[in-house]
Amino acid sequence: MFKNEEMEINLGPQHPSTHGVLRVKLHLDGETVTKCTPIIGYLHRGVEKICENQTYFQGQVWTDRMDYVASISNNLGWAEGVEKLFGIEVPRRAKYIRTMLTEQNRLASHLLWLATHALDIGAMTVFLYAFREREYLLDLFEAFCGARLTTTAFRIGGLREDLPPGFIKSAQAFQDRFLPCIDEYEELLTENRIWKKRTVGVAKLNAEDCIALGVTGPVLRAAGVPYDIRKAFPNAAYAEMDFEIPTRPEADTYARYLVRLAEMRQSHRIIQQCIEGLPEGPVMAKIPKILRSEVNEVYHPIEAPKGELGYYFVGEKGGTMPYRMHVRAPSFVNLQALSKMTEGRLLADVIAAIGTLDVVLGEIDR
Amino acid sequence: MPTMNLTQTMVMGLIQVVAVLILIFVMVPLLTFAERKVIGYIQVRLGATRTAGGHVGITGALNRGMWAMGKVPMLSILRGLPVFVADILKLILKEDIIPAKAERSVFTLAPIISVLAAFGVFSAIAFYPGALFTFPARFPIVGGLPFMGFISDVNVGVLYILALSSVGVYGIVLGAWASNSKYPLLGGLRSAAQIISYEVPLTLSLLTPVLLAGSLNFKDLSVRLSTGADMHWLAIFPLFVGFFVYTTCGFAETNRTPFDLPEAETELVAGFHTEYSGMKFGFFYLAEYTNMIVVSCFASAFFLGGYYLLPFGLQRFIPASVPFLGQPSILFFFLKVFTILFAFLWVRATVPRYRYDQLMDVGWKYLLPLTLVNLFAAALIRFAF
Repeated sequence: MFKNEEMEINLGPQHPSTHGVLRVKLHLDGETVTKCTPIIGYLHRGVEKICENQTYFQGQVWTDRMDYVASISNNLGWAEGVEKLFGIEVPRRAKYIRTMLTEQNRLASHLLWLATHALDIGAMTVFLYAFREREYLLDLFEAFCGARLTTTAFRIGGLREDLPPGFIKSAQAFQDRFLPCIDEYEELLTENRIWKKRTVGVAKLNAEDCIALGVTGPVLRAAGVPYDIRKAFPNAAYAEMDFEIPTRPEADTYARYLVRLAEMRQSHRIIQQCIEGLPEGPVMAKIPKILRSEVNEVYHPIEAPKGELGYYFVGEKGGTMPYRMHVRAPSFVNLQALSKMTEGRLLADVIAAIGTLDVVLGEIDR
Repeated sequence: MPTMNLTQTMVMGLIQVVAVLILIFVMVPLLTFAERKVIGYIQVRLGATRTAGGHVGITGALNRGMWAMGKVPMLSILRGLPVFVADILKLILKEDIIPAKAERSVFTLAPIISVLAAFGVFSAIAFYPGALFTFPARFPIVGGLPFMGFISDVNVGVLYILALSSVGVYGIVLGAWASNSKYPLLGGLRSAAQIISYEVPLTLSLLTPVLLAGSLNFKDLSVRLSTGADMHWLAIFPLFVGFFVYTTCGFAETNRTPFDLPEAETELVAGFHTEYSGMKFGFFYLAEYTNMIVVSCFASAFFLGGYYLLPFGLQRFIPASVPFLGQPSILFFFLKVFTILFAFLWVRATVPRYRYDQLMDVGWKYLLPLTLVNLFAAALIRFAF
């Protein structure tokens, strides 16, 4: 008379907390998730193929549209990858400015993560607090390159222009007010009993699984592996910066929260060093008007806020466009861990897991 | 009280019911407005400001006044007040959609059950223990009769209210089931489990004051609890614990943060009312906010002193001869109601949401044993001292 069957439910693609157009197919037994399958591709635009039909200068515009909350990191990866392909040496001042902007962008990205993750778990006030600070950062980006989100901040060989007048002063003003803001978020969440209940021990992914699945970034570091491209393969001016890699051994959602907050403090430290040690000099290297490549291939990884962002270029003889371009998008790789994190847990943990992985669909679908 | 004939009884009853309905229909929209504003200010934003009333009415005058004083009227807390009128108009005028595969009759019935259960509770709530004023003799039918601070003086009022407020969950569960959709179903299941679990400690925590004061009549109970007639001073402790448990369960019963699982928007889209729109959704909304007011009225009457200034029997230290402070007043009652309503909003802006299993843990593993011990302590105090 009564049937006992599992319910299949589609979380997304239109759902308040799947961070865009992620669709997660869930099999539910009551509230327990028995099977979890992420389905992607709703935002596919063929960025890699498009970039193979555009010159190296034009391609960078597309990188903005991948991880749109951390577009400066994407720009950095593209610019440095192409510079590596052509052997271009960037002036030191440009490297410093790139580092500073990338770290500010890391702050903006982590703030957006904190905002949405907290909102997903139900703490709605942190959302607006974090957005308040992010607004300030976006204003800085706007002052630098005229765009808040799709920045296209760098040029191959350096920067198009030096910092605008007053930029350092505004950046310093942000530096001065930002640390108390982090304390404010921590006050609301870190020792909050409900927050801890919702995050401690939730969506665990230990170091072996992280490495087997290729998961990088804060998720890997929260599993106790101190792998950070900024230290492992220093790019931009990171070799000259003094900072630490925060790690935690617990490998759960709460550990990832603590790691990201500690990373924000470290980013703050790096920005401060960039502001104080900013060298004088040109910001653009001498490069030819048209870049013609040899037969060559390059893989260039950088530490994006979500993890290892890699650009792979293959050049053909005399070509002005890459023969093949591929992006190793951290969100794409990290999303694989979702099933492992959530199967056998409750529905509410799926939401926490999506939040803690910090996925951006623009980057996953490309 | 002068004796009334049948016509007078009916007319008086009607007048009082209409008065209470008006009170609800004024308080609920004001509460939604307060929610926008309170949460807005906590979250470093301004809340609703766009519907400012333009240049007419109270807000118009206020805005003009602030401009005249050389201030930008952005910070006027009354800016955005007309939003609640717009809210109601929107709900009434919106297209009422019934999903094709929904169970039509149950789908329509569910919000009605919810809202009726919520409204019905008010018939036994006393806002003031006596007559608020007397109708002048020149009025037809009701001339010379007192206007009481309550609709009916039920001697088992607390029991009646508890019974009726548990009916509200049927509205949610039936509505969720009748929607024939997956997210509402999950929301309905959560709601059923949650409200039934929290009903137990809620009722038990209300038994503490009932036991200590020895009455089930709403206003008698409230008056005895605050004036502390024949209550031992130790009774403060179980009453305090009772207040804590009652408010916690009250949050759960009204589906408010941190227990808003049935409508957790980031998990279940909109929970049990996902498929509802228009005034049917409006009824659920109305029921939720009315329940908030009910919970606040209860907490105010039984744990915070009700019509008197001081709670927990402390009122006996202020002699009745002191003007205003020593006397019962409807102002004291509503002051406490608003304080608790503010706490509802404050908590919503502050804490995250529990997970389903944790919610059950809190209810069954912590609150229930706590209330049982508390009830036992209350019984000891009542009969041993």
